[in-house]
Amino acid sequence: MFSKILVANRGEIVVRVLQTLQAMGIATVAVYSDPDANAPHVTMADESYPLDGVTAEESYLDRQKLIGLAKESGAEAIHPGYGFLSENPTFCADCADAGVVFIGPSADTISLLGDKIRSKETAIKAGVPIVPSSPMWAPGENHHEDFLSQWGFPLLVKAAAGGGGRGMRLVEREEDLQPALESASREAAASFGDGRVFLERFFPAARHVEFQVLADHSGNTIHLMERECSVQRRYQKVIEETPSPALDQALRESMGGSAVALAKSAGYANAGTVEFLVDPPTGHYYFLEMNARIQVEHPITEETLRLDMVEMQVRIAAGENLTLSQEDIRPSGHALECRIYAEDPYDNFAPSTGTLLAWQPPQGIGLRLDSGVAQGQEVTPYYDSMLAKLVSWGPDRQACIARMSKALESFPVIGVTTNIPFLMRTIHHPAFTSGDYDTRFVEMYGELTASAAGNNLDAAAIALAERFWQASVPKRLGNQANLPSRPQGPWESLGRASFP
Amino acid sequence: MTQLDQNQGQDQQPPPKERLLQQVHPPPRTDDATTPASEAIQNIHLFNQAGDYWEGFCRLNDGNTVPFQAHRVGQQVHLWLGGEMYVFSPLIPASHRRAYQQTSTDEVLCTMPGVVLAVHVAAGDTVEAGQDLLTMESMKTEQVVKSPRDGTVQRVAVQPGDRADRGMRLVLLVPLEAD
Repeated sequence: MFSKILVANRGEIVVRVLQTLQAMGIATVAVYSDPDANAPHVTMADESYPLDGVTAEESYLDRQKLIGLAKESGAEAIHPGYGFLSENPTFCADCADAGVVFIGPSADTISLLGDKIRSKETAIKAGVPIVPSSPMWAPGENHHEDFLSQWGFPLLVKAAAGGGGRGMRLVEREEDLQPALESASREAAASFGDGRVFLERFFPAARHVEFQVLADHSGNTIHLMERECSVQRRYQKVIEETPSPALDQALRESMGGSAVALAKSAGYANAGTVEFLVDPPTGHYYFLEMNARIQVEHPITEETLRLDMVEMQVRIAAGENLTLSQEDIRPSGHALECRIYAEDPYDNFAPSTGTLLAWQPPQGIGLRLDSGVAQGQEVTPYYDSMLAKLVSWGPDRQACIARMSKALESFPVIGVTTNIPFLMRTIHHPAFTSGDYDTRFVEMYGELTASAAGNNLDAAAIALAERFWQASVPKRLGNQANLPSRPQGPWESLGRASFP
Repeated sequence: MTQLDQNQGQDQQPPPKERLLQQVHPPPRTDDATTPASEAIQNIHLFNQAGDYWEGFCRLNDGNTVPFQAHRVGQQVHLWLGGEMYVFSPLIPASHRRAYQQTSTDEVLCTMPGVVLAVHVAAGDTVEAGQDLLTMESMKTEQVVKSPRDGTVQRVAVQPGDRADRGMRLVLLVPLEAD
């Protein structure tokens, strides 16, 4: 087993990985960009080193700096988290060259799965159904007529590399195709260093269901059941749950079998996720892609199976074999994850920045918060807008939703606008509570025009705000970065008293 | 919750007679069914308090008790109540309202905090309504800032790599009268 590991990421996933490493008795190294100098992951690690940069390119994407820090600090392995360099085969190969273990699959497997065309060929070989798609497009080229004549519009433009919705566009009319190809290609080049894009058939009413797989270096491969991820906005997941309300036992077994077959066919070792589209009217499913990393939404699988996915990743990377077989995977109850994004649900989910004047997560039975921020911290525009993931578990779906509902209502966040009102409304929406929803959910029901809280609370809010306004004095703005982490005690509050 | 019926820790001020604040966020309700503010609250119980900060419970007139937090941030009140985050600003008297709210199409302001990725125009360029001026990026989302009208660019106030906050001036167009 490793004695020291560097986590090459930021935010909640670093905090999550550090928790496991510390529980396993492994020494930890964190890294940080300039804007993240005060982030929780920096103080939590045993050692932390600056990356001396602001943007992702200057910091968390700098391969040489990261490997250099791993060598200098004596870390034997690097955990890449998700995003950034987690699915970058060059980084994976650089690690191997430097004698540092990359906690994930091999560079060859990452390139195979990261190339959406080759991964589809792998799926076909493994007997897994795929979504129809066009050949690659690069600026100046134009050879997708066959695809257009067979499937037409609407269609998706997708980047050959990466994921998370970047470099992806929904195109409904022919005249929008060329601009979409160019802008998607530019975005993909900026995010992943690979500007190749292609066209894919679009299913308007499909569900997005993924299977978690685990594989060791001896070829033992199992799946850890599914996660339903159909509540998405701009192709980014917002709410995930397991089990999926859309699958019956036969479909679940069939899809799980496909996921394992695909992972085996790709020579996969470590934790990965096979994403499928499910077309509910026909019950058909199609392979989308396999993510060669830990997934943002892994906690719901951990909650229903009571196992630690990061520990599994580390053990597999250290050469241990799986001790679980497929028969051991018996999920219990229901789990739900709500992603808390710094964005305004009343303004088309526009990103929001600022200082977290209040950030007081709820606690209780069946609740878990994976968070990368703390009260008093500044939320900057440089990185992803996800602040935290709130997870609830219940013996059944209804109880699980009820716990989430109470938790969302009891989570004071002030200073940065979040999507919590949208989450609150979504989990009470009949289309969600019935379980009969698809990827159009946000488009159909996502718009919030007036407060989700309702009339009575709106009226109470103004009455309360006016009384407070009369009694209060302005906060000193220059002091925000040094806000106390909890409400002031008498010494601080007395110090601010005003005299008539 | 017998605590709420005791006077200790309660705010004893009478509610203000005239409206002082206007709701900035979320967008105010436009339907007619709004409960009058003066009748919305029975009482307030504070358990944490400073000059710029209140934390406590609020008993509504419908009998429900809801936790809240209020922060005074400059000339705004940020209020968390029942899972919703409200922002209020001082109500501008009707006599001042028109001058204050008049918006100019000579200035293109930043509507999304972010970083400037690319500038597509330069001072002196003739632009059409809807033409791309800048590309901004915030939290990995690209946004193209477009010209609000036909005109001539007077000045571009930012360059690639600059961080821009909401409300900041990005591009200045030659004023219409002088165009």
